[in-house]
Amino acid sequence: MHPAVSCDRRTMNSVSPSSAQYRGMAPDEVLPADYSKKHLIGQSPSPRDVKSHFAHLTEAGRSSEPDEVDKIKAKFMSAWNNVKYGWTVKTKTNFNKTSPLTLLGRTYILDNEDAIDQFRKNFISLIWLTYRREFQPLEGSVWTTDCGWGCMLRSGQMLLAQGLLAHLLPSGWTWPDALQLTDVEMEALKPQSPSPSSPVLGVPHIFTLHSSRDQSRLDGVRLHGSPLHARSRGQSWDPEADHMHRRVIAWFGDHPNAPFSVHKLVEYGKSSGKKAGDWYGPSIVAHIIRKAVSQASELSNLVVYVAQDCTVYKGDVERLCESNTTGSSYKHSADGKSVIILVPVRLGGEMLNPIYKECVKDILRLDCCIGIIGGRPKHSLYFIGFQDDHLLYLDPHYCQAVVDITKNNFPLESFHCSSPRKVSFSRMDPSCTIGFYAKDKKDFESLCAKVTTALTSCSKEKYPIFTFAEGYGQDYGVDDLCTSSPDQASVAPAPSRPRMAKRASADDFVFL
Amino acid sequence: MPPLDKCPHAKPFKQRKSLATRMEEVAGIRAKFPTKIPVIVERYPKEKYLPLLDKTKFLVPQELTMTQFITIIRNRMSLMPSQAFYLLVNNTSLASMSQIMTEVYRDHKDEDGFLYMTYASQEMFGSIVANFFNIDF
Repeated sequence: MHPAVSCDRRTMNSVSPSSAQYRGMAPDEVLPADYSKKHLIGQSPSPRDVKSHFAHLTEAGRSSEPDEVDKIKAKFMSAWNNVKYGWTVKTKTNFNKTSPLTLLGRTYILDNEDAIDQFRKNFISLIWLTYRREFQPLEGSVWTTDCGWGCMLRSGQMLLAQGLLAHLLPSGWTWPDALQLTDVEMEALKPQSPSPSSPVLGVPHIFTLHSSRDQSRLDGVRLHGSPLHARSRGQSWDPEADHMHRRVIAWFGDHPNAPFSVHKLVEYGKSSGKKAGDWYGPSIVAHIIRKAVSQASELSNLVVYVAQDCTVYKGDVERLCESNTTGSSYKHSADGKSVIILVPVRLGGEMLNPIYKECVKDILRLDCCIGIIGGRPKHSLYFIGFQDDHLLYLDPHYCQAVVDITKNNFPLESFHCSSPRKVSFSRMDPSCTIGFYAKDKKDFESLCAKVTTALTSCSKEKYPIFTFAEGYGQDYGVDDLCTSSPDQASVAPAPSRPRMAKRASADDFVFL
Repeated sequence: MPPLDKCPHAKPFKQRKSLATRMEEVAGIRAKFPTKIPVIVERYPKEKYLPLLDKTKFLVPQELTMTQFITIIRNRMSLMPSQAFYLLVNNTSLASMSQIMTEVYRDHKDEDGFLYMTYASQEMFGSIVANFFNIDF
């Protein structure tokens, strides 16, 4: 495939009336497709991507000046990688202006600019973690990228990142640069816009990173305002929160020492029989996250509980939260630790059983929900909301160059996504893990009540997705059963049981 | 227990016997053990990670809770507690662990009188070349 063909295809697909619908603009306000096409080919993301690529190489002391052949080669590889790893180039996202759009507990009606801005700000503020390439080799392997296999780990990272934002940042916090990010794209799309290398806001890397994202670029069509406006419109600036935001992102950096790096997660997955290059499932990732948080010295006041057999035992959660609260941080010490609750579920056989759809929506409406990791079959996604019959998601399948998070002012732009996308509920894979966050004991109690309502009110079915149970798992005889029936695993039932004498007449039934 | 991955029965139980035979079987066993519920537990056909159970037919006390039942099945397969394991009945996940077997039987028993359950773990995710241009397979 020729790179130009790929660009062409992307562009054609990308520039769609969706932008207009999303913004509430008349379709003729959208840039003509052929303009964008020309624009994208002429100043396509890849050459600038090459810049970042080579910047990286230069740092590594391996190369200095990119030549044309390398440029073309990198451009081709970038395009190919993203097609190859399932980055959906065809997607156009249409948002209905009148039906409510829910994003992690907040609902928007996108019929006015304020609502759109609010939504965009909140969406872009979410941490987006994607495939990366050229990071340090994963221990005991030659892998320097997770492209093609690490998507579920990335979704898991995003879910955890959302939990950490809830845990560490003031509620309602948004990334101050969120709208600037989009504004820059807008600038880039304007015919009279300065050349990509000229600095806007004096932050040249914005271009580099941004330009590597074809999809977000086309979202620029629907954007508006100038960087200066965004700045002056901005909410009160909280430097402490912004610092924390950067710290949280750094924890997910692709560096062996970062507490939630792919390096660490792969390491923690080894006890589940997984290794670098394997595919991961939402349940395994839940356990990996639990392990990672328990090992992270940065987070002494947060624990992760993973439900087993679709049951959250309240006593077990409370006990976990009370466990030796040492090194208490400034705001979570009074009522024990905060908790992220992860519930791995299976919502059907082949595909999502439609009876669960309303329930999934009700869960995503809760502000204590931090999202769902799952995907469409084989293709992991991080679900964060919905509109009508479509789930809203962040997609990890975009292969970006590694960012060196050990640098003080490492660029944040590639950790945020400006293009919301949707997938039909009917394509959702039934395997997923649902995440919740509770700040303290009181918060947990209200979480139990709210989630239980969401689980039971929507379904005519009396088979909820999962349940809360009072007390501890061990109270339910689970442990007893485990130890009292060691013979169960053998093919022949234990001969000591008197009723086994009737086995002949009872055919080959196993008595429990 | 070593995973019995060599499939002893190519077809699911339901396809191995006629409806009449199955009904007869249930009638016979119910007459002998009126307080036991006949349950068929089979592996989800596309399951790749969980072992096959050595047996498919179970007679289960009617007051047994789903927690207990799942624990027994998990135990028969020597699964780690953290390993994903789900029981599905009619494409519905049996997630209400306090439910007892009689209730599930009442809601989901088949016309032949058996209660059919399928067990599955979770799917794994990773992207493949063929995923491109949004085409799944």
